[in-house]
Amino acid sequence: MSSSDIFGVMDRRTLLALGGFAAAAAIIGPAGATDLYGPKGSGAKSGGTLNMGLLVEPPGLDPFHQAADARIRLTVLIYQGLFYESPDGTAMPLLAEGFDLSSDRLVYTIRLRKGVKFHTGQPMTAKDVAYSYNYIRDAKNGSPGAGDFAMITAIEAVDDATVKITISAPNAALPMTLGNKYGGVVPAGYFDAADAKTKLNQASVGTGPFKLSEFKPNSNATLVRNPDYWEPGVPYLDRINFVFVPNAASLLVGLRNKRIDIATLSRPQDVKQVEGVAGLVIERKPSFNQKAIDLGAELKPLDDERVRRAIALAVDKDEIMRASIGGLGNTIGTMVAGMQESWGAPLDKLPNQKVDIAAAKKLLAEAGHPDGFELTLTSIIGYDWMDAAAVTLREQLAKIGIKLAIQRVELGVWVKNFQSKQMGFTFNDWATVPDPNLLFYRHFHKAPEGADFRNWKNDAASALLDEGRVESDPAKRREIYIRYQQAMAESVPTIMLFSADHVVVRADKVKNYDQHPTGWYYGLARAWIA
Amino acid sequence: MPFWRGCSRRQGLKDAESMGAYIVKRLAALVVTALLTSVVVFLLVRSVPGDVVGQMLGQTSDPVAAKALREFFGLDQPVWQQYLGWLGRVITGDFGTSWTRGQPVLGMVGSALAVTVQLAFATLLLATLIGVPLGILAAIYEGRMLDRLIQCFNLLGLAAPVFWIGLMLLFGVSTGFDWSPPLMYVPPSEALGENLSIMALPVLSLALLQAAAYSQFVRQNIVSALGQDYVRTAIAKGLPVRSIFFTHLLRNIAIPLVTFMGLILIQILGGAVIIESLFALPGLGRLLLSSIETRDYPVLQAGLLVVVVIAMLVNLVVDLSYRIIDPRVQLS
Repeated sequence: MSSSDIFGVMDRRTLLALGGFAAAAAIIGPAGATDLYGPKGSGAKSGGTLNMGLLVEPPGLDPFHQAADARIRLTVLIYQGLFYESPDGTAMPLLAEGFDLSSDRLVYTIRLRKGVKFHTGQPMTAKDVAYSYNYIRDAKNGSPGAGDFAMITAIEAVDDATVKITISAPNAALPMTLGNKYGGVVPAGYFDAADAKTKLNQASVGTGPFKLSEFKPNSNATLVRNPDYWEPGVPYLDRINFVFVPNAASLLVGLRNKRIDIATLSRPQDVKQVEGVAGLVIERKPSFNQKAIDLGAELKPLDDERVRRAIALAVDKDEIMRASIGGLGNTIGTMVAGMQESWGAPLDKLPNQKVDIAAAKKLLAEAGHPDGFELTLTSIIGYDWMDAAAVTLREQLAKIGIKLAIQRVELGVWVKNFQSKQMGFTFNDWATVPDPNLLFYRHFHKAPEGADFRNWKNDAASALLDEGRVESDPAKRREIYIRYQQAMAESVPTIMLFSADHVVVRADKVKNYDQHPTGWYYGLARAWIA
Repeated sequence: MPFWRGCSRRQGLKDAESMGAYIVKRLAALVVTALLTSVVVFLLVRSVPGDVVGQMLGQTSDPVAAKALREFFGLDQPVWQQYLGWLGRVITGDFGTSWTRGQPVLGMVGSALAVTVQLAFATLLLATLIGVPLGILAAIYEGRMLDRLIQCFNLLGLAAPVFWIGLMLLFGVSTGFDWSPPLMYVPPSEALGENLSIMALPVLSLALLQAAAYSQFVRQNIVSALGQDYVRTAIAKGLPVRSIFFTHLLRNIAIPLVTFMGLILIQILGGAVIIESLFALPGLGRLLLSSIETRDYPVLQAGLLVVVVIAMLVNLVVDLSYRIIDPRVQLS
């Protein structure tokens, strides 16, 4: 564990020891400049161009309307929200300087950082902040983040340096929601222009450490250092070329021959090929992602909880993880690996986690399927881990009589099924920001408050999610989410299998890159070239 | 003026007129075909489940946001209305803006096409330079050791998948010379040397395969022509071998050869997606593939239309070249 991680954990523990979120807010105060985006490091050199190879190309660079993770990884360097998602689970002020919370916990008065300029050169004011967040929370503007901001009733500029945000019910996750996943602060009125949405792919209007220089589809996206950036002395790099290399073999050859300075890999066979190569350093970091099996209750007999529990009891997570990512990750219970310490229920307190074939068969017999049944598993083309995992799962479920057929679908088809709540029995691959409300609420709360994609319709679990969202005391909040996780493990709307590590391969000349557990490239704002 | 010269000029004028009429007729057919193709493409791309909105909003989509985006892209309108709107804009030269990349479609397709055209013509040139002489040599030495060696090369080239050849070349030069091509494409107008070092391996990968096909094709045609009466007559007349080959044989296989070249060109221009992906070339094949993945209909429609038009133009040029190669050919 690096020194920055230790400090991060200490911050969180200090906060956990403090009762009440209002008190916590006062403690956060101005951003700890040493931790924001990762440690600044000593002896850093400014200048130089870094070439980062990306296997997955961002479909666009519009942070307001494009939800793809491949987009977020890059745009967090260009656009900034009010808070930063610290890996330890705290929301650190970013464009905010600090905030006060009213006694009824409904009004956040946020003081803004001074001296912030947009990439256009104009200074940022509270009007810009209010405009940007009002734009994103209005679902009619078509932002994927709109649902996350539904609890906000008003955002207004008090003066040039203060914004007031009013919410409908206390929500401990609000600061984390005002992070960098969707949107960012842009100049007021930006979207008034008819071509504004598409222009975000050609010129950036954020406040981040890097500006967009060019975006060539199927080739590269190039960022250049923002000379007006508000943090003194950073970033160190003059230029970052994100090179889109859709083929792992070419990427590996590029790393070996120094065409590429840094890349993240996910397939164990790819990692093996660069192990021991002179001049390359491999680092593994825990992640907030999860590889899961979802069990849509709209598909019979998955509507029967006993059947879902039987499936959970037949699944050997460790075997699946080793088959699909060669052990480059951690099996999980009901919480992603990077948040287990902060928010995860102890694994020994969760039901249906250990393989028990006899118990599984008994459950199936009780549910009227003593000889098992036929079931179709959906996996997504292009997600390599799913192919090996599907075959392993078929063997495991065969032990309780379930005959598994595997269908591979294209991502667009899968997303359509998911959104229309017709996912059936499927693999899933998704990531979160470090807050349990943002992880669970929309996915698992019953409709209409949540999307309940798996048709779980669980009243007790939904009540716990409501309770967890309102609770401001960190210790009590953790207790509520542990109870929620127990309910989820008992009823099995999903089987969270494992979190794959982020495997970073970098040339040894690339210094001080710290991979954020979200998989986003925040660390490039602190990296430098020796 | 001699009678026959006047006749010839009149004949020439008549020929030029008929050639002009032929081209006009073919171009008119091209427009009609392109129009029909656009309808088919428009319906096909929309028949694939999912749309750009689902892709943009991801797993946590909001129904109101989804509706708003569908309205923004015009996806809420009936398909025929969407088509007519698109067609109306295309006729005025406006192919629109990419829904995901936010850039003008024409520019995107044009840039990608430039890469693919360079790839296709460089491949064609190299494949011809390698394949045709090999085919001739194999035919001359039919049944002997050299023929067998060339046949081995042909079989390997015809059987090996292009990604395998590409990978072997990539690993070969990387291991042998500690070198690999740059991964960020640069057009020849910006830096010719770097462009050539980027294009060398992909061109070689495609050209080796096409050269094998060429060589096999040329060999078969020459071997079969060697048994023809006109060759026997030429040999009986005592014509030198060079003259028999270049004046008679090659001329006779020129038409099928040009047809073959046209097919290769269409094949590569239509999207050498595997080789473009392997060497990170931003060509047309890769653009079409990524547009399918993101359901970027404006780019997909324009790109597919361009592929169809190019295929028809190449066919037209091939047909016209028949007449140039052999004036007896009647264009109709």
